[in-house]
Amino acid sequence: MSIFRVWQLAQFELTRLFATKRGLLALGAFAMVWFMIQNYLIAQAVPFLSSPEFADITGQLAGNIGLRELVSWPEAELAVFWIIALYSFPAFSLFVCSDQTVGDRLRGTLRFISLRCTREEILVGRFLGQLFIIAILIFLTVLATFILMIYRDLNLLGSGALLSVTVTAQLILIVMPFIALMSLLNLITSSSRLSVVLAILLFTLGNALISYLSYYLPILSWLLYVYPGVQILDVAPQHSFSLIDWLLPVAQTMGLLTLSILTFKRRSL
Amino acid sequence: MSALIEVNNLCKAFGDKQALNNVSFDVNKGQTVALVGPNGAGKTTLFSILCGYLVPSSGAVNIMGKQLGDPALFGQLSALPQDATLDPRFSLQKQLNFYGRLQGLNKQKANMETSRVLELVGLADNHHAKIAELSHGMKKRVCIAQALIGSPRIVLLDEATAGLDPLNAREIRHVIASLSEDITFILSSHDLAELEKLCDHVLYLNQGQLTTHNRDTKQGTSQYLTLTLIHDSRDTLEQIKQLSGVLHVSQSQNKEYIIEYQSHFEQFDIHLLKYCHKLNWQYRQLVNGHTLENQLFQKDK
Repeated sequence: MSIFRVWQLAQFELTRLFATKRGLLALGAFAMVWFMIQNYLIAQAVPFLSSPEFADITGQLAGNIGLRELVSWPEAELAVFWIIALYSFPAFSLFVCSDQTVGDRLRGTLRFISLRCTREEILVGRFLGQLFIIAILIFLTVLATFILMIYRDLNLLGSGALLSVTVTAQLILIVMPFIALMSLLNLITSSSRLSVVLAILLFTLGNALISYLSYYLPILSWLLYVYPGVQILDVAPQHSFSLIDWLLPVAQTMGLLTLSILTFKRRSL
Repeated sequence: MSALIEVNNLCKAFGDKQALNNVSFDVNKGQTVALVGPNGAGKTTLFSILCGYLVPSSGAVNIMGKQLGDPALFGQLSALPQDATLDPRFSLQKQLNFYGRLQGLNKQKANMETSRVLELVGLADNHHAKIAELSHGMKKRVCIAQALIGSPRIVLLDEATAGLDPLNAREIRHVIASLSEDITFILSSHDLAELEKLCDHVLYLNQGQLTTHNRDTKQGTSQYLTLTLIHDSRDTLEQIKQLSGVLHVSQSQNKEYIIEYQSHFEQFDIHLLKYCHKLNWQYRQLVNGHTLENQLFQKDK
């Protein structure tokens, strides 16, 4: 596999977001949604979380849902951001990364590209490009939250910066298998919309089916570990560090990408 | 001659339908090869296998001593696939530059190559245009341009001039002819007159089976000319037979005669034209050998 060609492919993906009208419009919409979240959710929730008057109530409420550790963070903005981003970015990445190869395959553009690089390079390059895009968007939202936080309390600059880096890295790890899943679904469906529909069915019906069947055959519950985001509930409280929780998305990503490459190699273009 | 492409016993089936059946052929360096056949004969399937878009059911393909999909072929083998188009979101320049970069060219060289190939296909003023802004013919020319980026040694063109107006089709033929000394072209087309002008070797596919035709005019002790007249009469055939050196004459179609003559007869073509002049016959065309159409469809004559 040529790193140069993979890098070229990944770079070209970045220009889809930052150098096309459609990409810039999507970026504008994304910025507006996050402006609303920052302004009306995070900024409004923080006074409750950091106020000593409400400390007991919020502590009890958060404790009931296993988030006691989070409400004790002095960086309250990042705590609220973490919970929102933890659930929204994986879902968001399913939509944003829903056209990694399928559009180009249907249009025939992949035929031009496949004369210049291997199918593995195309898949890995496109995956990395999409990952860079999501990583940049995560970074920008974390940065906005960080600015909001130090605007409230400048003393949180040091600890907040470190926590921001940690949260960014954690979110990137979490979205990785979602992007890899869309890479695979792109190869077995005939449009990006169908890929999204199939992903939704997988996460709803598929999940429910496995849960139901594993009631009778408990060994089937292991199948849930194939699902991206299976560890999200465990990592949400941030109360302890478990290596497995962070290795799992990496393993899922590698597994899904390997499966994608095998599928792509057999596919006609 | 060294074979650039070696295809041995290639088969491809789609379900019950055998699209290619034991197809074997070689393409040598410097040849310009025509791939002809009726619709559904397997031409695009064969192209797709050579380009690596389809996996063959069985058989072997060797291109420049490499297996299909070998990274060493990137930039060496290029193609105009049928019905493929560029991404509508980016300008021609951006995409062609990107293809150049994928072929290992640096930014400056990729830029120069983009300008060169766009100029070659007559689209020098369309660097910043997007594919959706172009006409069908221009889209086709852009796709041909991408096949010429860098220094490809083999270029496969599937229906390169289909849908082009006569002037642009002529330009494309001119480009192919001018590059055919350095590049081995394989062309598929239904325009036999076009292939006749460009190709020296013909692969004829029919129902997945291949026959090859060498366009060498000499066969044993005899050679052939195909004469097309503007007007003829009932006696024309007999009159041609009376010309010295003629071994056999047949009429392939209206006003078209295939003349077999002794190969040692020097300047027979001039001899024939003088004979036409003497009999006050006006000729439309004189082809050295058989026309491609006759070669493919009237072999028995």
